[in-house]
Amino acid sequence: MGEKEKIIEQALSEGRNTLSEYESKRLLHAYDIPVTNEVLVRGYDDFKGAIQKVGFPLVIKACAPDLAHKTEQGLVRVDIRNEEEAQQAYEEIMLKVQGSGGGILVQEMVKGHRELMVGMTRDAQFGPCVMFGLGGIFTEILKDVVFRVAPIERKDALEMTREIKAHKILGEVRGMPPADIDELVRILINVGQMGLDHEPIKEVDINPLILSGSKPIAADALVVLAPPT
Amino acid sequence: MAEAFEKNPLFPIANPRSICFFGVSSSPFSMGTNLLISLRAMGFRGSIYPIHPQIKDIQGLRVYPSVMDVPQVPDLAVIVLAAPIVPQVLEECGRKGIRHAIIVSGGFKEVGEKGVLLEKRILEIARRYGIRFLGPNCIGVINPGHKLNTTLISYTGAPGFIGMASQSGSFVTQMFGHLFRLRLGFSTAFSVGNEANVDLVDCLTYLGTCPNTKVIALYVEDIKRGREFTRTAKKIALQKPIVAYYVGGSETGKRAGFSHTGAMAGPDELYSGAFQQSGVIRATSVIELFDFCWILGTMPPAIGPRVVIQTHSGGPGAAAADACGRAGLELPELSKETLEKLAPFLPPTGSARNPIDFTYTKNPLDYFSKIPEVLIQEKNADMLLLYLLLPSQILKRNLEQMGLSEDQIREQAKQLVDTQSGYLINLQKQCKKPLIGYTFQSTDEEYIQAVLDKGLPVLPDAVRAARALKALVRYTRWRQNTLKHSGT
Repeated sequence: MGEKEKIIEQALSEGRNTLSEYESKRLLHAYDIPVTNEVLVRGYDDFKGAIQKVGFPLVIKACAPDLAHKTEQGLVRVDIRNEEEAQQAYEEIMLKVQGSGGGILVQEMVKGHRELMVGMTRDAQFGPCVMFGLGGIFTEILKDVVFRVAPIERKDALEMTREIKAHKILGEVRGMPPADIDELVRILINVGQMGLDHEPIKEVDINPLILSGSKPIAADALVVLAPPT
Repeated sequence: MAEAFEKNPLFPIANPRSICFFGVSSSPFSMGTNLLISLRAMGFRGSIYPIHPQIKDIQGLRVYPSVMDVPQVPDLAVIVLAAPIVPQVLEECGRKGIRHAIIVSGGFKEVGEKGVLLEKRILEIARRYGIRFLGPNCIGVINPGHKLNTTLISYTGAPGFIGMASQSGSFVTQMFGHLFRLRLGFSTAFSVGNEANVDLVDCLTYLGTCPNTKVIALYVEDIKRGREFTRTAKKIALQKPIVAYYVGGSETGKRAGFSHTGAMAGPDELYSGAFQQSGVIRATSVIELFDFCWILGTMPPAIGPRVVIQTHSGGPGAAAADACGRAGLELPELSKETLEKLAPFLPPTGSARNPIDFTYTKNPLDYFSKIPEVLIQEKNADMLLLYLLLPSQILKRNLEQMGLSEDQIREQAKQLVDTQSGYLINLQKQCKKPLIGYTFQSTDEEYIQAVLDKGLPVLPDAVRAARALKALVRYTRWRQNTLKHSGT
């Protein structure tokens, strides 16, 4: 069993419908999709080591399976710049997640103004479909997204990046460099492949996929598994 | 290709040499009686064997008490009987050796549990005998070239180049009149009904190989084999255009998804993506479906989005310019060379800025010959859109003033229209760029009809013309990109 299968099997054997953010990103990483540099910790000693490893500024998040809408629940602290802020964030979040079996995710703070989204959903008729669109807070407001049926080819992925209404955001705008389209294309193709390779994966969200300069990086991710039938 | 066509399992359904017909009755109003009349009105050339246990003859045809009494094994069974007796009849057909059927009868899956069981039974019988069948709950097939019409409505037009597979029978039969007015017609059209045994993808595959089909029209509510559809459509769309009118759902976000992706994967978005990916051009109404088929089935590729509009009226020119802009087409300015060549035809009242408005032409024939000949050679343009106004009244009035008799006027007027449209058709064939007309006159108007007869598409509205041209641009671009990426 490869690493990908292990992550999925582990969750299914525990009767879970979702992978945690950390697990989801490990799976994405296994598919050569760039993710944030991060460490999952369960105690304060580990936490201090993690801070050293990731470096400031950083993000601290609660991390547990079935944990959605983390921002709304106050389980995310961003732009933490020193140990004092980090400790405070750790204590506050730990208080909220205590007993849930989760941990704390110490994550590099990705700087970038452009937030995109990539996803996969398994449709009853079309099978695994790949999504691309605007991410972050605009996802639900603008619903500027396009779909393709997996497997997708380079041509399909390129068309997706041009088909969203806000496609100009991928160009050179306001002093920001153009997005690395080849990298985006690769991510889209690979997310489709995830769906094709693993029947139990029902949905994938990479949101936001932040453009750090020109490079897309998965800053948050969620993998939904098919509920056992 | 021809071999694949004749070996397709749907070939005998659309091209039967003999038919046995279940559902005749002594009532002149019954569905069965009506279908038989339609079938015969078309002049079907093969044998028809109506089956009924009591009736001896109908509409001058001998009726057989059972399919077993029929002197040959018919290619096709058409079944228009109450649902509960369909399994038994299909079983008999199977024993007789019949391997193809159209089951028109309703009362199956679409009515709920009881019907679901009946449908399972006919599927099981079909599997046992190797029968392929269309339906149930469909209106069957129309193949005018083969003089086959199993639908309720008579088909009075000529065979055309549009192949159709429809999840609504109405969008086959009830469009006959619309198509005939535009001088269009079906090559073959299938109403797929419940798709128990033959589905939309099967029909698409058949139409893909059908040599009489230049363009395929789909009316889609729900594609059951989505992945096969995308794969099949993509292969066919490289050979011939496919246009789909999809109405499955615009209820975005109705699905409860744990993820954002799941929540946003409404059917409309998924179908849009699947169509785009497989080169299927999406229409937004049934009228547009056939507009797109018309242009995609008759015009050469549009290598770019640049249109020259030729008109002699300001309003229609402005309307076309606006429509083109909204459709995402471009109106280039004319090059110096074109302006020079155009100068002798442009009166002082005219404007050479696209839309080119001539206001009038000294020699009216120039408008249909020399002028479009100059414009279509414009190197900055990919297409020509021509405003057509052929006011029969004025023409006739003028001829009347010349003292001609009624017969002479009719003859003269016809000749004039023949000449005018003939020029345009020849021009279009020579230059290999799309050239279509638009008008605000009714397509029933006799002069518009005469132009349509010659094979020049004239869309009865600038918006429809612009959107159809854009569809052509999209199809051309998709095809070129796909060929380029596949390295062939």
